[in-house]
Amino acid sequence: MTDKQNKDKNKQNPSIDRRDFLQGLAATPVLGLFGAALIHEQSVKKKLTKAKPKVVPENLEPLNIAVIGSGAQGQVLIDAMLKLPGLHFKAVCDIWTEYNLKRAAGILKRYGHPVNRYIDYRDMLVREQDLDAVVIASPDFWHADHAVACLEAGLHVYCEKEMSNTLEGAHRMVMASRKAGKLLQIGHQRRSNPRYLHCYDKLIREAKLLGRMTSVNGQWNRAVQPDLGWPEKYAIQPDILRKYGFDSMHQFRNWRWFKNLGGGPIVDLGSHQIDIYNWFLKARPKSVLASGGTDYYDPAAHEWYDTVLAIYEYETPAGTVRAFYQTLTSNSSEGYFENFLGDEGTLHISESSNRGGVYREPNAPQWDEWVRLGYLSAPEKAGTQATSAVLDVRETIAPDRHDIPIVFTDPYHMPHLENFFNTVRGLDTLNCPAETGYETAVTVLKVNEAVKAGKQLAFSEQDFLI
Amino acid sequence: MQIKESQKLQTCALVILRILIGWHFLYEGVAKLLKGNWSAAGFLSQSKWILSPVFQWMVSNETVLNLVNQMNIWGLILIGLGLITGTFTRIAAAAGMALIFLYYLCNPPLAGLFYSIPSEGNYLIVNKNVVEMAALFVLIVFPAARNWGIDHILVRMFRRS
Ligand SMILES: NC(=O)c1ccc[n+]([C@@H]2O[C@H](COP(=O)([O-])OP(=O)(O)OC[C@H]3O[C@@H](n4cnc5c(N)ncnc54)[C@H](O)[C@@H]3O)[C@@H](O)[C@H]2O)c1
Repeated sequence: MTDKQNKDKNKQNPSIDRRDFLQGLAATPVLGLFGAALIHEQSVKKKLTKAKPKVVPENLEPLNIAVIGSGAQGQVLIDAMLKLPGLHFKAVCDIWTEYNLKRAAGILKRYGHPVNRYIDYRDMLVREQDLDAVVIASPDFWHADHAVACLEAGLHVYCEKEMSNTLEGAHRMVMASRKAGKLLQIGHQRRSNPRYLHCYDKLIREAKLLGRMTSVNGQWNRAVQPDLGWPEKYAIQPDILRKYGFDSMHQFRNWRWFKNLGGGPIVDLGSHQIDIYNWFLKARPKSVLASGGTDYYDPAAHEWYDTVLAIYEYETPAGTVRAFYQTLTSNSSEGYFENFLGDEGTLHISESSNRGGVYREPNAPQWDEWVRLGYLSAPEKAGTQATSAVLDVRETIAPDRHDIPIVFTDPYHMPHLENFFNTVRGLDTLNCPAETGYETAVTVLKVNEAVKAGKQLAFSEQDFLI
Repeated sequence: MQIKESQKLQTCALVILRILIGWHFLYEGVAKLLKGNWSAAGFLSQSKWILSPVFQWMVSNETVLNLVNQMNIWGLILIGLGLITGTFTRIAAAAGMALIFLYYLCNPPLAGLFYSIPSEGNYLIVNKNVVEMAALFVLIVFPAARNWGIDHILVRMFRRS
């Protein structure tokens, strides 16, 4: 023992010697082990939930942008864009000047973006000379004219879905984008959602967890909703409404339900999810069969079908896939989701609040390795609830459920907008370019035709090409 | 010589048992702490059997629930640290028994009671909680930290001063 230690020992307690100390502390190194194990565990967990690295804001090229259509969705997009670095809002265009335009411009001003206000998009394009890109969230029947005008003015365009309410319009948009050599991104925002990207890139393509996909189903069911109204004192003058294609304030607010303005729920809601069918199956449908009608609401004010059930047939390299889609507007059971079913597994996914899961078929190879690699969460055992019923020998055991290990908490549209702006800056490629939006428009608009025809309609490869 | 060898082995077994149970407690506590938003509400609210009104009351009162959550998390951590390092081992083991006993009372595996949180095994009256409780009892009645734990130092300091 050294002198110092001796001294310490004498000061504290003469009876405790070095041996006692060591013996007493013998178990404490276990805490170090525990700490190391914990740090390792935390780093594994972090790796599983880490999104792809973001570009450093400092070296982002600033972009000047304008918004056309600052209604409900325009506001949602503005809110998401305000969270993105490097954007300067220069102008907002909306025909509801006293209401939506005022509100959006007011909010932007509060966030340090004093914007010029326009009622007419042509006027805006003439006067605003230093724009880089325009974000369009006007009603569907305006998308083609708005987008084409912006592209021809040499601006990049982010345009909300549905690309257009007519194929002719969608076609014009693709051509304008090609001719101008400018970007056109369509607002199917799930295409940039990190959870959907993980499912497609990792689970379906790389790990092939579903095996051979045989069927898809999905839905968007919504509860009964009254028609949209408006504060009487902010009603738009009839001549202005007519100039911009609306017969009345009622039509202006509820354009989705009218034949020449929107496409009804199947286009409004279905296009988001049917777009995912095309994407995840990496295919275009061969045919569609559909049934629908205005069964619940007043047909005079709801020209499009309030209820639609559709079945697509896809030919994929692995074989036929049948895909069902339903949209109800009189019952909200189960909300909205997409299910992809294969002979080795099922993927359940929804944009709504991180809902989703992957289920392994009993005959599929083990997924332990994918769990270890962080592609999936560890399985939750299927319910072993006591039941008095006798298990039928032909019944397969319920598969284990795995969580999709990506948690997404940003505003839904933020990554898709970010993908667009980063592509404008040359840092990325579009997740939903014009051609993809066009394919989806071809796929979805056909459902309304099939309902009307009352029979199965075929697609030709030619339909999807421009 | 024979006797001494077997005694050494016995002590060794006790120390291992103590450390393993301590590890389990510590991690249960730390994991809940790291989760940030962990709450006992789910576990408590599905309480069955005669004490269920008490546990339901804890859930229904936010202040009480918060207190229960904090006490549970820090209780687990302190008991875990105590057992691993062998500090106040008997007190830690007794506290551990009490805590587990509460879990057991909240959701005992008795015939006719079904829980929505599935357990990973099959139990009737005796479950792993009861076994861990019994193991802690062993740690109390045998000298599990007298030689290989901070208690060894504490005892010595205490005795003389
Ligand atoms: N991606 C999504 O999740 C999502 C969600 C909702 C809506 N959308 C899409 O966003 C678009 C807008 O939908 P919404 O719900 O905001 O509708 P909305 O009726 O609330 O808003 C439309 C806005 O466009 C304005 N407008 C109409 N014609 C115009 C014109 N010619 N020039 C300038 N402004 C004009 C209106 O005054 C109104 O403020 C639609 O294409 C819709 O399909 C997408």
